[in-house]
Amino acid sequence: MFDKIGLAISFSPTGKALLSEAARLKNLFNSQLVLIHIGDKTDANESLLFSMVEETGINKNGVQIIWDNGDPATAIIKHGEESQIDLLIAGALEKERMLKFYFGSVARKIMREFHASSLILKSPSLTPHPFKKFIVSGDYSARGEKTIRSAFNFALKEGAEEFTIVRDFYIPGLTSTIAENKSPLELKDVVDELKGEEEEKMQLFVKELALKRMEVSITCIYGKEGWEESNYARSHQADIFAVPGPERKTRFIDKLFPHDVEYAFEKLPSNLLIIR
Amino acid sequence: MLAAAKLLGEIFSKFKQPAIIGEILAGIILGPTVLGMFAPNIFELLFPSKSEIKIALDGITNIAVVLLLLVSGLEVDLSIVFRHRKVAASTSIIGIIVPFGLGFCIAYLFPDVLGLLAYKDRLVFSLFIGTAIAISSLPVIAKILMDLKLFKTQIGFIIIAAAMLNDLIGWFIFSVILGMIGANAHGLTFSETLLYTIIFITLLLVFGRKLINKLIPMIQEKLSFPGSILNFILILGFLSAAFTEYLGIHSILGAFIMGIAIGDSTHLTERTREIIHQFITNIFAPLFFVSIGMRANFITHFDIGIVAIFLALALIGKVAGCGIGARLGGMKKNEALAVGAGMSSSGAMGIIIGLLALQFGLIHETLFVGLVIMALFTSIFSAPMMTYFLKKKEKNTFKALLKETNIIYCSDDGKVEILTKLTLLAEQELKIDHQQILEKVLSREKMLPTGIANFLAVPHAKLKMKNPFVAIAINTNGVDFEAADGLPSKIIILLLTPEDNNELQLQLLSEIASNFKNKEEVEKLLTLKKTDDLLATLRNQSK
Repeated sequence: MFDKIGLAISFSPTGKALLSEAARLKNLFNSQLVLIHIGDKTDANESLLFSMVEETGINKNGVQIIWDNGDPATAIIKHGEESQIDLLIAGALEKERMLKFYFGSVARKIMREFHASSLILKSPSLTPHPFKKFIVSGDYSARGEKTIRSAFNFALKEGAEEFTIVRDFYIPGLTSTIAENKSPLELKDVVDELKGEEEEKMQLFVKELALKRMEVSITCIYGKEGWEESNYARSHQADIFAVPGPERKTRFIDKLFPHDVEYAFEKLPSNLLIIR
Repeated sequence: MLAAAKLLGEIFSKFKQPAIIGEILAGIILGPTVLGMFAPNIFELLFPSKSEIKIALDGITNIAVVLLLLVSGLEVDLSIVFRHRKVAASTSIIGIIVPFGLGFCIAYLFPDVLGLLAYKDRLVFSLFIGTAIAISSLPVIAKILMDLKLFKTQIGFIIIAAAMLNDLIGWFIFSVILGMIGANAHGLTFSETLLYTIIFITLLLVFGRKLINKLIPMIQEKLSFPGSILNFILILGFLSAAFTEYLGIHSILGAFIMGIAIGDSTHLTERTREIIHQFITNIFAPLFFVSIGMRANFITHFDIGIVAIFLALALIGKVAGCGIGARLGGMKKNEALAVGAGMSSSGAMGIIIGLLALQFGLIHETLFVGLVIMALFTSIFSAPMMTYFLKKKEKNTFKALLKETNIIYCSDDGKVEILTKLTLLAEQELKIDHQQILEKVLSREKMLPTGIANFLAVPHAKLKMKNPFVAIAINTNGVDFEAADGLPSKIIILLLTPEDNNELQLQLLSEIASNFKNKEEVEKLLTLKKTDDLLATLRNQSK
């Protein structure tokens, strides 16, 4: 599934924890591991990095290490593409401080711009555990289908216990239209009917995907698209929330006025798997 | 006023027409047009012409306008606007420029035709006429989309996004025009007023929005519901309205922008929105629209020429303008025209603009009556226009895909023979080798059987094709498609859809399943021996 896993690594407690997580996933997917470090390649740094690698139980000769300087996000993304990494792992805070959010942190740039899939870990652990609870954003597009299939295969490998596809949808102007013509009770009926239709479509969709060997739950939520799914993943304490990567390049205006997957980028509901 | 508005509003709603027409009609009846003409004593008793009564009524009207714009702003969803920004911007901007330009030119070049009151106001007057023609009504558009079941479609979202942007730009322009006629003062020049307004809007939408988003959950959870949140929203709305009024850009802009900032909150529950809408729609909106009907004598001030000019400008300007914009944004021709038709309704917004212009002395009653009629006419007729343009596009429903030549009877055939015959029909129409189709269908069948219930099976596949295809085989003996209810399948519907359009396949599968939910109706279908009878029954069922 992921033949080459990349990790943006630093010399910090979080860096060690991320390395442990990457090592676990390397073994899970039987992948190659590429470490990208932005900093000076000195004997001391190299030695430190090798000892970190060995502590996780990986043979240092089985790991490719890339050293570079400059803007971390740009360098990581560039090397990730050149090395044909198909899953890039990075750590991130749940929420960046304001200026950093708008003007870019390393993890947020990776989320938005990396060409392939990325896994953003909120709280990496030195003793990592398998991800047991997967919540996946559901939409009917080809990207949505790919996201669900990829997340499902990941979940199977992890022996996950729960796999839920969540779809949020919103009808602008519905409240005012109903308010003019019907009582509040009927607005609820209309929303319930719409949710029922959406759930029916979702069930047909999941049936077409023919996902076997694990039960798949479906939830449809009426509310702000992107935010409701993210909030669902947060409130249900997902281990992984999987989303399709943004369809087009994110601009500053998309951060000022977030929509869709930007809500998940703005405040991570859980570990985030972005499928591209 | 409220009683008359509710009575007539309810009557019009029952006939599936906008309640606003009934409410305005109530005002026309209660006002100088009818009551004032035929029972002037009663009219004077009910609505004395003493100035303090008039001031009080104007006060209620102004509060109603602020509240109407506040809830209008609540409905603007910035995330939808930004999601569809390319097409929405193109549709909206060109959809404003064209009708605005048309309205402006006609008013500027022929001011006497439209009855300009003072020649020195020609520029402002023309700007106003342009805006009145260019504005759209988001609530009317939303209702049309709901009635036409388009609101969950791509075209529906684009129309809504364009309408939202149209509102934002339109109200800003109108407020600027009001600023130009020097409604303010405090020593601010027009440029200063404009600058402060832009700063205010930017700060409110960028930072104010985030602060409101943090406050709303605290209020909803910790204070009494719904009173506290209602108060909070109205307080903010009035404060913002007062601020822009102070700046000299009418209170409507402040209320509208604050509505957007509040409505964008992810924590504002549907229940809260509902309550605000009910409160304003059932009390203030009817009062406002009745007062509109009472503003002028709709008979003596009716001028067919002016009404015709406004209608022509609105229809040509909006349909053509928004249609061109949508086309440039990448939509197909009929869809673009449907977008234009949808955006042509000006509804309450057009009426509000007319009222404010009348209050500021920009126009006289005849023009006001013309604008009100234009707003009502476009609100009523934009839906049928949209339906007309979309009918040509409506090829992707189960009903539209049914064809007599694609229905066969084959009671002696087994599963594979039936599928072979159906794929041969597909080959004739799609020009794709039937073996290729059959392989895909059988492969899908192997993955998961397609027998449903009530004697129905829907074998299907996705192919490299442009348009979906449906063919039906009737086998009254039944064939085993492993249906969940264990019944053999007697109606086998082959469904082929483009491989890059999952949603279309889901929509058609869902439609087919719901058309065959009733077992008795299915059994009746199976008694029909002729393809034309079957086709007619299926088409009627689909309705």
